[in-house]
Amino acid sequence: MSIVTVLDGRAGEVLLASVGCLLALATVAAIAPRSSLNPRPLSLSLSLSAVACLGILMLGMGVLAAPAVTAELGDVLGYSLIHVRYDALSGLLLVALGVAGAAASLYAIGSGAHGDPAGRLTGAAYPIFLASLALVFGADDAFAFLFAWELMALSSAILVVGRNPGSTVARAGYVYLVLTHLATAALVIAFAIMASAAGSTSFDAFGEAAHSLSPGTRDLVFVLLLIGFGTKAGAIPFHVWLPRAHPVAPSHVSALMSGVMIKAGVYGIVRFGLEILGPGPEWWGLLVLAIGILSAVLGVLYALMEHDLKRLLAFHSIENIGIILVGVGTAFVAHAAGSTALAAVALTAALFHTLNHALFKSLLFLAAGSIQSAVGSRDLNALGGLARAMPVTALAFGIGAAAISGLPPLNGFASEWLTFQGLVDAGGDEALSLVARFAAIIAVAGLGLTAALAVACFVKATGMSFLALPRTVAAAAARETGQAMGSAMASLAVACVGVGIAAGPISRMIGGVAGGVLGRGPGSTIGPLAAVDGVDAAYGSWQIAALLAAVAGAAWLLSRRRAVRRTPTWTCGIVPEPAFEYTATSYAKLIRLYYGPVLRPAREVSVELHPGTPFPRTIRYRGEVSHLIDERLYGPLHRAAVAAAQLIRRIQSGSLQVYLAYAVTALVALLLVAR
Amino acid sequence: MLESTTLESLVLGLVQVVLTVSLAPLLLGITKRVKARLQYRRGPSIFQPYHDLVKWWTRESVESDVASPLTGAAPAIVLATVVVATLLVPIVGARPPLSGWGDLLVVVGLMALGRFVLALSALDAGSAFGGMGSSREVAISTLVEPALLLALTGAALAAGSTDLGTIAALGVASGTSWFTPPLIMAAAAFAIVAVAETGHEPVDNPDTHLELTMIHEGMILEASGPRLATLMYAAQLKLVLVAGLFGAAFLPVGLATDLTPTTLVVAIGAALAKMTVAAVALGVLDASLAKLRILALPGLLATASILAAVGIATRLWLPA
Repeated sequence: MSIVTVLDGRAGEVLLASVGCLLALATVAAIAPRSSLNPRPLSLSLSLSAVACLGILMLGMGVLAAPAVTAELGDVLGYSLIHVRYDALSGLLLVALGVAGAAASLYAIGSGAHGDPAGRLTGAAYPIFLASLALVFGADDAFAFLFAWELMALSSAILVVGRNPGSTVARAGYVYLVLTHLATAALVIAFAIMASAAGSTSFDAFGEAAHSLSPGTRDLVFVLLLIGFGTKAGAIPFHVWLPRAHPVAPSHVSALMSGVMIKAGVYGIVRFGLEILGPGPEWWGLLVLAIGILSAVLGVLYALMEHDLKRLLAFHSIENIGIILVGVGTAFVAHAAGSTALAAVALTAALFHTLNHALFKSLLFLAAGSIQSAVGSRDLNALGGLARAMPVTALAFGIGAAAISGLPPLNGFASEWLTFQGLVDAGGDEALSLVARFAAIIAVAGLGLTAALAVACFVKATGMSFLALPRTVAAAAARETGQAMGSAMASLAVACVGVGIAAGPISRMIGGVAGGVLGRGPGSTIGPLAAVDGVDAAYGSWQIAALLAAVAGAAWLLSRRRAVRRTPTWTCGIVPEPAFEYTATSYAKLIRLYYGPVLRPAREVSVELHPGTPFPRTIRYRGEVSHLIDERLYGPLHRAAVAAAQLIRRIQSGSLQVYLAYAVTALVALLLVAR
Repeated sequence: MLESTTLESLVLGLVQVVLTVSLAPLLLGITKRVKARLQYRRGPSIFQPYHDLVKWWTRESVESDVASPLTGAAPAIVLATVVVATLLVPIVGARPPLSGWGDLLVVVGLMALGRFVLALSALDAGSAFGGMGSSREVAISTLVEPALLLALTGAALAAGSTDLGTIAALGVASGTSWFTPPLIMAAAAFAIVAVAETGHEPVDNPDTHLELTMIHEGMILEASGPRLATLMYAAQLKLVLVAGLFGAAFLPVGLATDLTPTTLVVAIGAALAKMTVAAVALGVLDASLAKLRILALPGLLATASILAAVGIATRLWLPA
């Protein structure tokens, strides 16, 4: 019985085996007692994890261009339980995992030095979480996939709850576990249908069997997959766990959950919906497109209403999943209509944004963690003025903010640009139905709205955290966090800039990945590298970046020739105070009013007067917005579930004989039905 | 596609650069003069904006003692976004000076970058007025951007490309058949958002000195000296950019597809005429309209979005 069967001496498999061994060692190191070999268990474990992530990155880069790497794990009596196959699509997600994982591990080493140690349980769960992610992206049969999927869900749940099982944290972890298992249930049913049609659990067999399924069954499988993967991705309306779970996790875990784990949902939709089930009817794509637009617009609107920095970022993950799904939906629609070149452009955009979001969202969560450890709060209304004390964090957060807002010349713009290209091309593609073409145009407006709202939200988040006067004593006393945390953020920030400037070659490479995904289906002849050739407009990323830098640099140098005098801000003759500044809440007020029909803001102002005078002593303001999906969809579902449980309770007597009778009845009924 | 040699593109590009860079302040002068005349004032000379820029440029900058380095860098970045975006728009030749470097989406993206940096720097001094202008600017931009993109998409669909050079060249080649009903609807939508994007009545008042009504002026309230000059010049150049975008996508009359003395004179004349009409129109709007209540803006700007969407629906369902 071998742990990993190395099929031959190829480097990919050796690398895969080393990554597995390193992560196993990291798990052991976290649990093992402190000894001379293992003086600082968590640091050692995290260092091993960081090295393993670099291995994952190398493996990912390797399979992006080279043929797929396959291996078998857990060979029991000649029967392999787990088959893995890392192809170019897996490779792209491994690259995202490798970069974000290495940065997060490095960051965690630094934040551990700040008196923020995680327990043994979470210490062990972290490398397992990394390993499960790597396995999800390469599993090549239903068993391996579901095993890795569950491992990922459980280890991340431990990481969310493990450290401080207070009531809100435990509740967030509970909601997360329930929803992730509902998602897994949907996947199990979908895989069971596929496996019974294919007579095998291998995904290759699924691909062949998919085209013999009746249209109704195919539609059912697709909807089940969309529910399962959509929940993991956090797409609206399956998103309710995400803004609860992500903020309470330690920041390096939030970075990986938002940056990489939710991408497993995107990966699933692309791998199973697009590649294995192949081109479906047009409404599949329109459904994905609608979910994408809904997630993008509502995600960013809710983010704007938040003043908890990590909750704000969590809602932005929903937004970015929406942007990715817009690209995926366009690819579905175009693939169904036979416009494979257009499908490749849209899928390239989606995959590129998947990679980019992993970079900038990890960066933002890590920076938010630095703020939290420096100030002790992540409430934007308690921050301010941090740019002076924390210049590295400020610059890194600023770059991440510009990247996630889709601003040139950073990486977020490049992938959003491709997404827009896909939509405009779809609008003009006569092979598509008129409804699909118009839907693509509406999506252009929706994405434009999303981009503008994202700019608003990140001006708010960056400005309230880093600029003007500190709003609290703690914010005024903040100091820059350590070197490990700083270099983790700096490397991700450099990656955001670098990928943005090198957008051309990178998108051509990802175009090859997209071509591979679409080429596996029947009836399509697209080769690698065709994707970006489908776009006839151009975006010269490095040219624009260089010219911007040159013009801005020249203007800056010229304007520096005059003296600069620093004086207190003019506030009509009063000494400036932080209370004069706009807060996160007041900054978003106009948007709260503009989008009131969706947000339905409620506010409550209570004024207490000095006795006997008309002068107020205290004014209290409380405001909140309502989350329509939570209230209108999950509220009734929750009540119905509780009511159903109450009904079923009546047959629960607690007597063993009665339960045996139930079992026998059920068995007889099944035998009669399934005869 | 149009055929023109590298030399021809270079000359047309240089003419555009000289024209746009030198005349941007003049357009503001014209707008102010028209406004003044309509209000029965004489108003300042149309060259006053040049004098103002020189005046600010030669003075010291005063900045808040809580300001971060962003306050110093932001004006330069804002100017750079407008300069680069203007170089991507065909204003004299049917090919923009930086042909092939970026399409209309890049222009919209650069405008968003400028807005991001300016709105952020407005928060740097910790003054309530900066926050007020900044929060209004970003909120209004969420209404502007969908309409702007839809309107430009209307032109992109007509040409089958988001490349502004391709759109303009096709527009020139099509002659009057370019002006189909869907395109006219898109142009009308663009005209509405152009007013908001350049900060004129009924959305913003560029001359206001009442802090509570300011948007763009609120954001640059803390700027002074060369930084104020840079920001004001960027705002003036933005009018050229927006008018040029309108000209390229919806009114590509007179753009030079090749270089002869006649086409050059026609192209320069057409560009000047379009800019002047835009400046005069904004002056007339400024003088004749009151500022809309800020909560009434969604109505106006949603009209633009819907107009552009109806135009595209018309193109799809009722092809000519």
